[in-house]
Parts: sequence; C-alpha cells; structure tokens
Amino acid sequence: MHFDTNVVLPDPATGRDAYRRHARTWLRANLPMHMRADSLDYRSPSLDESRDWEAAMYRAGLAGMTWPRTYGGHGLSLREHLAVNKEVGALAMPESVSSIGKELAGPIIMAVGTEAQKQAFLPAILRMEHYWCQGFSEPDAGSDLARLRTRAVEEGGHWRINGQKIWTSGAAKSQFCLLLTRTGTVADAHRGMLMFAVPMDTPGIRVVPIKSIDGKESFAEVFFDNVVVPDSARLGAPDQGWSSAVRVLSIERATNRMYRPWRFECELRHLVQACKSDQELSSLLQDGYYQRRIGDVLCEIDGLKGLVECTVESMMAGNEIGARGSLTKLYWSECHQAFASLALSLMSHVNPTSSPAAQRARKTFTGAYLFARAETLYAGTTEVQLDVIAQRILKLPKDLT
Amino acid sequence: MTMHDESLRPEEFADAAAAAIADALGRGPREAAHVLAQAGLTGVCAPEEDGGMGLGIAFAVPIAHAAGKLRLPFPLIEQLLLARALAGSPEGEQLVSGDKIATIAWAGSLAQGMAGTARHASVSDWVLVPEANGAALVDLAGVVIQSDTALDPEFPQQWLALSETTVLARLDATATGALMHHARLLLASLVNGAADGALQASALYMANRVQFGRPLSAKQAVRHWLARMKLVQEVSMAAIQRALATNEYGQARTAHTALAGAITNAVFVLEKAIHLHGGMGFTWEVPLHYSLREVRKLDAAFGAGSLARDLGRSFIKAA
Repeated sequence: MHFDTNVVLPDPATGRDAYRRHARTWLRANLPMHMRADSLDYRSPSLDESRDWEAAMYRAGLAGMTWPRTYGGHGLSLREHLAVNKEVGALAMPESVSSIGKELAGPIIMAVGTEAQKQAFLPAILRMEHYWCQGFSEPDAGSDLARLRTRAVEEGGHWRINGQKIWTSGAAKSQFCLLLTRTGTVADAHRGMLMFAVPMDTPGIRVVPIKSIDGKESFAEVFFDNVVVPDSARLGAPDQGWSSAVRVLSIERATNRMYRPWRFECELRHLVQACKSDQELSSLLQDGYYQRRIGDVLCEIDGLKGLVECTVESMMAGNEIGARGSLTKLYWSECHQAFASLALSLMSHVNPTSSPAAQRARKTFTGAYLFARAETLYAGTTEVQLDVIAQRILKLPKDLT
Repeated sequence: MTMHDESLRPEEFADAAAAAIADALGRGPREAAHVLAQAGLTGVCAPEEDGGMGLGIAFAVPIAHAAGKLRLPFPLIEQLLLARALAGSPEGEQLVSGDKIATIAWAGSLAQGMAGTARHASVSDWVLVPEANGAALVDLAGVVIQSDTALDPEFPQQWLALSETTVLARLDATATGALMHHARLLLASLVNGAADGALQASALYMANRVQFGRPLSAKQAVRHWLARMKLVQEVSMAAIQRALATNEYGQARTAHTALAGAITNAVFVLEKAIHLHGGMGFTWEVPLHYSLREVRKLDAAFGAGSLARDLGRSFIKAA
C-alpha cells in the first residue's frame, strides 16, 4: 500500500474548517477500497495493513491530535480532534488496532508517567511501533475493581507480580500491558493500587485466547506467574498513579472514539444502500415500519452527536467533565445496539439470490449485531453508568437528609 | 438588560425569562401577554424598530424551555416567532407589545378550509395557517372553533373552520421555511422543558417519600429510572444546542431530528414521572398531567410519530 504522507498540515488559525477539510480530502484519497466495509472489494485487513494505514494517518496529521509535540503529537485542541473524527466516522474504515495505546495507555502515561517513560512510550504509540493491552479486569473483579487480586510485591528495586487478568483485548499482539495491581491485600479495597507498564515478553506471562460470540479471538486471559519487572516499569506511586488514572478514565469515557455517531450514520447509510441494491430488500424500505425505525435511529445519532459536541465545547471552556462521560457511554452503546438490531432484521431477508452488495452487508452487519452485545458491557456496564448518573449527576440520596 | 450587550449569553437570559413567565402564570391571557411583553419575551427576536430586542433565536430557546417547565398556558413561542416573522409590519408591533395574541396552526391549510392543533386558539386574536406557497395570518374573529376535549378538557385540541376568513398578512415560502425551522427548535425546547420540570419534581419526591423505612430514591430500580430520564433529557438538550450551531464549514443545521427526538424523550420522561409519583401522579394533585397532555397534543400535531418516519423516508431516498 502506498499512502501520500508528504502532507503540509493545515494551520487551525486559518479557519474552523481547515482540519475537517484536510481530513476529508486526505482520508478519501488514501483509504484503500479493500479497507472500506461498504465496498464490494472489502476484505478484513491484516494487522500489518491496519498498522501501515494508521501510521500513515498519523504522518498526515490525523492521529495524536491533542498530544504535545514533545511526545510526537500535533499539539492541537479537542476541536481539531473532533473535526478529524467526524471525517474518520464518515468513512467505513477499520477500527483502530491500537485504541488501547492511543486512548487509554497514552493519556494515562501522559498524566502519571516519568519524563523517561513518556519519551519511551508515547511517540512509539503514535508511530504504531507498540501495541498496548489493558490489564484491569479479573475473574473476580469486573465492574468492581476494588476486588482486584493481582499482587505486586517490591523486592529490592524490582517488583514481583502474581495474578490473572481477563477480557484483555489484543493481548496476543501487544508489546506492553497497562497492568493494574495491588500492593496490599483485597481487604485494602481501593487503597494500594499500583499501575505498571509491563513488557508482554517478560518471562512468566501466558496469554490464553477466549473465543467471543462473533467467532473471533479478540480477548484473552493473561496469567502472571512470578513476573519480575524493574522499578522503572512502575507508573506513578501506589494510590497516586491509580487516582490520577481514574480521572483520565473519566475523560476518556467522554472523549474516546469521538467518531462514533458519524460512523453509526455511515453504517446506517451502508445498510440502506445495500438494501436498495436488491429488489426484495428495496421493497422493505417502502414499509412505514422500517422507515420509522430508521428515523428513530437517526434521531438518536443526532442526539449522540449533540452530546459529543457539547462535551468538546464544555471541555474547551475549561469545565471538568466529571461523571458526564457516563451519559455518553450509556447513550452510544444503546444507540448502536438499536441500530444493530434494525440492521439484523433487514439483513435477515438476504438469501443466496440477493445482490452481491446485500450478501456482503449481511456478513458485516450480522457481525456488528453480535459484537454489539459487548458494547453495554465494556468500559463500564449499563448498570454501572446508571448508578453513576443517579449518584453523581442526579445526586439522589439513599437516606433521609 | 441592554440590547447591545454583546457579552449577553442565552443561558444568562434564562433566569430573567423564567421570572417573567412565573409572573404571568395565573393571570388572564390579556394580562399575561402584557407581562411577557414588558419582560421583552414576546419581542425577543423581533427588530428593535418594532419594540423588540433584536436577539437571535438562541435567546428564545431558554424562554421556550422555561415555558414548558413552568407549564405556561399561553402561546408564547408562537407569538414570539410571529413577532419576528412579521417584522416591520403593524401586526408585528402589536405582537411585540402584547396588545394582540397570535398562535400557529401546525396542521391543515387555507385550501382545505380546516386547520388545527393551534395551541390556545380560543384566547388568540390571530392564527397563522399554512397555504400553498407559505402561510397566511388569519383573523380569528368570526372563525368557528370546534374543541376536542378527549385528550385535554382544560386546554382542548381545537379545529378551525376557515371557509370565510380575513387574511391580515402573508408569509412567502422562504419566510415560512425560516419560521418552521425556528419553530422546531422552540417546540423541542418547550417539550424538553416540560420533561426537565417533571424529572426534577420526580427526583425531589423520590428523595422525600419514605417507604420500607428509607426514601424511595434509595431503591436501585427507582434510581435507574431517574437516571434514564436524566439521560434522554440531556440528549434532547444537546440535540437542540447542536441544531442551533453551525458546522465547521459555517453551514446551518436542520432541527428535524431535534424535534422528533425531543418529543419521544419527553413522552418517556413524563410517563415515567407520572408512574414514579404513584397514585398521586394519576390525579390532578400534581400538574404532571398538564405536561403530558401538552406534549401528546404536540406529538399529535406533527402526526404522532410521522416526524421520525418522514426522516427515515428522506434518508432512504438520499442514500
């Protein structure tokens, strides 16, 4: 694949449209047809193809938007980040193969890492040289991280780690794990939490893939048996690192994959176009029932766009985002599940005589429907988000005051 | 409040608007019109030459929100929209001053000889009615109004017989299109204001109503309903703000999804608010029934779900 990376980056001072225009032009000119899910030429990209594409996007000024220049970023604001995300969403391009690095590990390292750690890790994430995985969840600690058991013990300048992680996305391909451990016992609950950047080739780490509902092996169990890492792998002090990370996580919940509503709209258009390519499916679109469902999803998509844009404006004005990320997380996950159910019901009418585009779309959207089951689970389940909204936004009392 | 204060922001206008609306509550329509006019609400978007404040539609959004939240039984958003649309005319001036009251028929047309779903037509002097290439401002004197009290005995849905009418002014297609765009924003804000008020009342009641030895707001099932009500109410707010703003290219956005979504969300919030108030919510003891009827009448005015279906149809056609 060849990408045009000889790009003069626009100056945001030249106008609000500068970055959106640049993103639109570059992405449309460079995204290969075989990486577009709405193209008949589509095939699942290999890891290397995805890596090369994302690295080219970075060189074209379309990744690492808000990261400081010192660490390889472009030093821009969330506004340019949002403008680019709208165009990323508008194309049916593959999901990032490095979202844990770019949207979780990177921002946390930026907040709690030493200067040496920032220099070592951050530019490599943007250049797509390192993949990261997230070692937070455990068999006994999903929504409730206070029950974390994986233990880190200091032994003369080193740390010895023992425990097990689960639901670790992308563990097999990752060079590093953002690992959450505890220094004391489970009785300490949220106290004594400590984070590490652990190289995945450290002896004692074992990755066991988990087959998910969509037939893929995108998750894994990760076992840590007497894994020894140097003190330089530690991210922040016990407690301090984790509490900073919690703040980063709440921002991430509100701002990660900001392109979602624009991508959902792109998927909805793909779905409708696939139906229109086939006579039988086309007639379904004349049905007021399907028209209404499509209209309802459109309203939800625009509402989600509103939440994302209001979040950006509020953060640009210097406001704390606090618990409001829970509103966005809950809404996007249910919005996309509603879309996926609609897509599955339309695609259920596809048969071997259907148009090639409809048959292609059936594969895509059946997969999307199955994967969407995870969307109300990861990054905080629906019930966790509802609790957060009730407790921290509505401040509903549990006792009489 | 100065009209030339460039630092004035719509949200800062909200408190003043709410105070004036609270003042108008409980007064007769004529008196209410003058109270609202004196506070600058009827003329918020009308030109200064007509006695208005010359502010953008964004300033009318918090007014509509407050009117919905405080349950103002007066066609305030219709009046301020018409005062703006009829700028530079004697009719426009009379609407700004509150000397006349005007409403808008969202359904029917002059050609059909029938128009309907105009809020508070029986207390209004004029009504705007759709016609082939725009809309006509019709004098309500002499127009026979038929009331349908099935959904709302207090403020019934009303049908206007328009066989012989006096047309006072006309809006062309462009002016009508602009008015309808603004109307969608304000109606969305009105119903979302009603939802906001119902949500706040429910949260407060749940925090004070003790059952099983604790306030009901301690119960997870109750907390989760309230959280869902908050979610969709915030989504409506965000959708309205988005529709008010331009995109990166400086292009205006439509407000169709904002209105359709706001009605759906407001119905959800109001029905749940009534449910959470228990038996009391089913009675006239709390005013939630007013808001539910108000939102359901507007839903009916726009075809009871047809807004979303039409959006779907347009999207399919364009894809």
